Amino acid sequence: MRLSELLHSRVVDAAGNDVGRVHDVRLVQDGPLVGTFGAAFRVEGLIVGPAIAGARLGYRRSGMTGPFLLAAPLRRLHRRVKFVPWDRVAELGRDTISISGSADDLDEPEPLPTA
Amino acid sequence: MSEHVGWAGRPRRLRRLDAGLSLLDRQILDRDGRLSGKVDDLELTPPEGDGSGPPVVTAILSGPGALARRLRGSVGAWLESVHSRLHPSAEPGPARIPFGVVKEIAATVGLSVRKDDLELSRFEDWTRDHIIGRIPGARHAPE
Repeated sequence: MRLSELLHSRVVDAAGNDVGRVHDVRLVQDGPLVGTFGAAFRVEGLIVGPAIAGARLGYRRSGMTGPFLLAAPLRRLHRRVKFVPWDRVAELGRDTISISGSADDLDEPEPLPTA
Repeated sequence: MSEHVGWAGRPRRLRRLDAGLSLLDRQILDRDGRLSGKVDDLELTPPEGDGSGPPVVTAILSGPGALARRLRGSVGAWLESVHSRLHPSAEPGPARIPFGVVKEIAATVGLSVRKDDLELSRFEDWTRDHIIGRIPGARHAPE
């Protein structure tokens, strides 16, 4: 599987409700050891939400504070973005990902620090 | 954020990143700092055993073979077609960099090996030798 097969896929919950599209894939470095890199990254979950302009500008990061005129509306839009833990992924379709349970149970993704 | 027990029993925060934001389209530099392509996609592999559980990032995919899938639509199909026609292999795939040779992920992605030791430049080399090199005057390019 490729990362690009997950990105932009539509996500629906168990009742068929639309959750949004995959904006990004969160990785955590706690996988098996690989070569000189150390622990491999594994998929922790999906960042899912409605189509938002500027979804890849980094305004989900905790250190992104400006410029205010851009940051304020983008932060407000990103409140509708949800985090889907990988263990809730029930089925990977060609363009649609089904998750278990309800979309209402999903939390917002934890903001990551700026790199 | 979950914590693991690290050296001397102290809790250690696990490193997290969003793949699209922090890895895709980043410049790749080899051991000697030479430009070695961009991160165009990632290979995700189910864990060993019964294959259930979260996939693991096993390789960086780079070059037109990887980019074509990301572009999708007619542009992606065209790029994949051109790549497969020009590539020396019968079944060309994207250039694959095992994650085990990745040294660092920052503003760029640093590798612990030389560019020439990877399959990255096979498509470039073939295009240089068979197409660019046959254009009159192409052999006189300055080093």
